[in-house]
Amino acid sequence: MGMMRDRDEGGAQGGRGPGGRGGPGGPRTGGRRRFLFRRRKYCKFCEDKARWIDYKDVRTLQNYIPERAKILPRRISGTCATHQRQLMQAIKRARTIALVPFTSD
Amino acid sequence: MVRTYETVFITQPTLTEDDERAAIDAFAEIVSGGGGVFTANDRMGRRRLAYPIQKFEDGVYTRFLYDSEPAVPKELDRRLRINDKVIRHMTVCLEPDWAVAAKEQAVRDAQIRAETEAARAAGLLPEEGAETGPERRPGDPRDRDDEEGDYEERD
Repeated sequence: MGMMRDRDEGGAQGGRGPGGRGGPGGPRTGGRRRFLFRRRKYCKFCEDKARWIDYKDVRTLQNYIPERAKILPRRISGTCATHQRQLMQAIKRARTIALVPFTSD
Repeated sequence: MVRTYETVFITQPTLTEDDERAAIDAFAEIVSGGGGVFTANDRMGRRRLAYPIQKFEDGVYTRFLYDSEPAVPKELDRRLRINDKVIRHMTVCLEPDWAVAAKEQAVRDAQIRAETEAARAAGLLPEEGAETGPERRPGDPRDRDDEEGDYEERD
């Protein structure tokens, strides 16, 4: 499951808005800045609002189940709180009917 | 109060087709006998279980989607638990707005399945293993590699 960090977004300049607040740190040097840049995470379920997360849809759930079969935390996937809750429910249901493992060694 | 329920159960993979059909029909009868209305009664087919249940590695999945009073899933649950051909079952009560979407989806799925069936019966789709030469039409079922394609685009 390749995370989306290899993608370069428009040269990745120091993303300071107009009249950027002069907080601590100041503008970083280009090279280091580019190295630190991460593509912004977003909730993939918020894109199509009408959908609910189906516990039978193993292919979608699989994206949120890493190797050890734990549920991928929000801090990594970027899923919003509402959808993370629905996702959790769906994964747990899928586990009950053996579509998805509880653990895998 | 009538609500939408979805019941998924797994039957033993060792059953003969007739036994399986009989068991499923008996369960469907509980639903319709109790005043439930089916939206979908579909055999999701045999698939590998994510973990062994009662030492079975495979199972046959069946899914009921129906509207009914809460007494129906209760009775169905009781019967599923007694029947030892059923190795696992689960009933979910769907949220009203999700229920609508689920039912629409079920109807669409049934339509697609019927169309594919009809096409196969009419001999439009080539048989498994039939050789059509080097150039394949884009709609060739053998070219369909959904699993990879979908996954790639997602990122």
